[in-house]
Amino acid sequence: MYKTEVRGSLIHGNKNYHQISSDIIAPIDQPIPLWWKAAFGISMLAFLYGVIAIYVTISQGIGTWGVNNSVGWGWEIINFVWWIGIGHAGTAFSIFLLILRQKWRTSINRAAEAMTVVAVGCAALFPAIHMGRIWLAFFIFPYPNTRGPLWVNYNSPLFWDFIAISAYLLISASFWYFGMVPDFATIRDRTTSKVKKAVYGFFAFGWTGSTKEWLRYESLSYVLGGIAAVLVVSVHSIVSTDFAVSVIPGWHTTVFPPYFVVGAIFSGFAMVMTLMIIIRKVYKFQDYITDSHLNAIAKILVFISLIMGTAYATEIFIAWYSGSQYEFFTFFRNRITGDYTFEFWAMVICNAFIPQLFWFKRVRKSLVAAFTISIFINIGMWYERFNIIITSLTKDYLPSSWTTYEPTWVEIGFYIGTLGMFAAGVLLFFKYIPMIAISEVKGVLKATSHDSNDNKINRHE
Amino acid sequence: MNNQHVIGVFNEEDELLSAIHRVKEAGIKIAEIYTPYPVHEAIEAIGKKSRFTIAAFLFGFAGAIGILAFLQYTAVYDWPINYGGKPTNAFPSFIVVTIVLTILTITLASLFTFSVRAKVYPGKEYFMPDTRSTDDKFVIIFNMDQNATESSLLIQMLRESGASEIFEKQFQPLT
Repeated sequence: MYKTEVRGSLIHGNKNYHQISSDIIAPIDQPIPLWWKAAFGISMLAFLYGVIAIYVTISQGIGTWGVNNSVGWGWEIINFVWWIGIGHAGTAFSIFLLILRQKWRTSINRAAEAMTVVAVGCAALFPAIHMGRIWLAFFIFPYPNTRGPLWVNYNSPLFWDFIAISAYLLISASFWYFGMVPDFATIRDRTTSKVKKAVYGFFAFGWTGSTKEWLRYESLSYVLGGIAAVLVVSVHSIVSTDFAVSVIPGWHTTVFPPYFVVGAIFSGFAMVMTLMIIIRKVYKFQDYITDSHLNAIAKILVFISLIMGTAYATEIFIAWYSGSQYEFFTFFRNRITGDYTFEFWAMVICNAFIPQLFWFKRVRKSLVAAFTISIFINIGMWYERFNIIITSLTKDYLPSSWTTYEPTWVEIGFYIGTLGMFAAGVLLFFKYIPMIAISEVKGVLKATSHDSNDNKINRHE
Repeated sequence: MNNQHVIGVFNEEDELLSAIHRVKEAGIKIAEIYTPYPVHEAIEAIGKKSRFTIAAFLFGFAGAIGILAFLQYTAVYDWPINYGGKPTNAFPSFIVVTIVLTILTITLASLFTFSVRAKVYPGKEYFMPDTRSTDDKFVIIFNMDQNATESSLLIQMLRESGASEIFEKQFQPLT
């Protein structure tokens, strides 16, 4: 009933099961390549810069940032929302495609989930440090304390945010790990190295692949998939309430939750595409991450890009139609024209116009074009968060409190540090974890192979 | 119980399925099947059913009630704080936290249940009749408390279904 036979064969190159294991485990067994060491070195340097910036922030205070009374949220919240958005794709990819029984997810879900876990980790740093006095960060936990006990304010979206991000990080990480257990067992049983056998054997949790295990594994994955799908929608809705429940012009809109969720999935899918093209190119996984996989992601991106364009248009329309002069000012005098024209149009062009190139088959087929567009989307999504946060805060109701905002080197360093952390995390994933879910790919090999599908493919094309 | 086991190794899923079909018709009980990926027919052949969905529902139910009760207790009874004159019993805004934490409860409790029920946990002593079954082989095991004629009949059936290797081995019965 749910077979996706129309897609044709998902794995190219007439592989057998043994070849699949060998191909995917190969990067783990091979010696560390030079480019990896270089890339890891650079990302660690970037990370170090971030650590210095964080040290300065914690030792001297938030005053080292460019934020001020009017613009209380600067780059940190932009980057927080940006990383959370990127972190959305993994679970969106895995979970939505899992419950929709889309078999083409199997080549991509592992990398997308890995990306999620690292990106959400990066994101979580920002609010934790932004709260100031990070050594008191545990105050946000509702725990019986010596202050009354004074519990936390459950009506605050910032508290919801804390709960949502922590839960999302925990759930994504467990979903990711749980999917890797059978693959760790495969590595354990194939390797001849004693160290690897011990290490991967430990992480495989004694997995044997018996029917008793698979039965529960399958049931658990559908249960987790079903409930985590709710989470994917709720996490970014909650992030949007940080803005939407305020009365700042440009934020106080009901369209924010769906707008944020779609935007998050958009940036996340773009990052998945960036990453999959890198994996495919560097590790020569074109038999697993085939043209049709990238084609499918490109089609999703063009669709979401249209939704983004509609959301931007809706916001602008309502700013005029509502008759609120503050809303009108924010959109027409401070975004479309005015001091932040560049940032606004960068957002619109990168998110709503450039991805439209994916309508052309030639663009979807070209790795360079697809890679470039995916980078543009990530830049565009960063500008979107910049627009929302900075333009609304710099000029609110009172002209006397209007101000400008420039990030300091500390804020830039913090951001670069998380970029380094993300790159390092992804590189470690490339090297030590099977990048493609081995057991899942094996499961779709025969069901979608050319032998069983040739006739159907011919009929459809 | 006898510790003698017959083990059949297959290269293809189809061959394994045909063997399952044949032995089931002959009324021979399968002890366990090891596959590199989930094979639904094999899972069904063992005749076990998972009640995971029921367990997850119960976790969610208990979690949701527990969390709502906690929020209610702390915010309304234990230390009601006046936040700008808003009602302390702000039920609609409790729902957000309740949903997210219920999902977290279901996830963590389900993972724990999985670990207990499927016996998958760190440091587990495991037994596999043939370690190639996590790579590319489909392995089926029979406990031979049956008589010798049945054993030879079984071997015959496995061979006809296309087993690449069949061997007999002594080991402790699977739990």
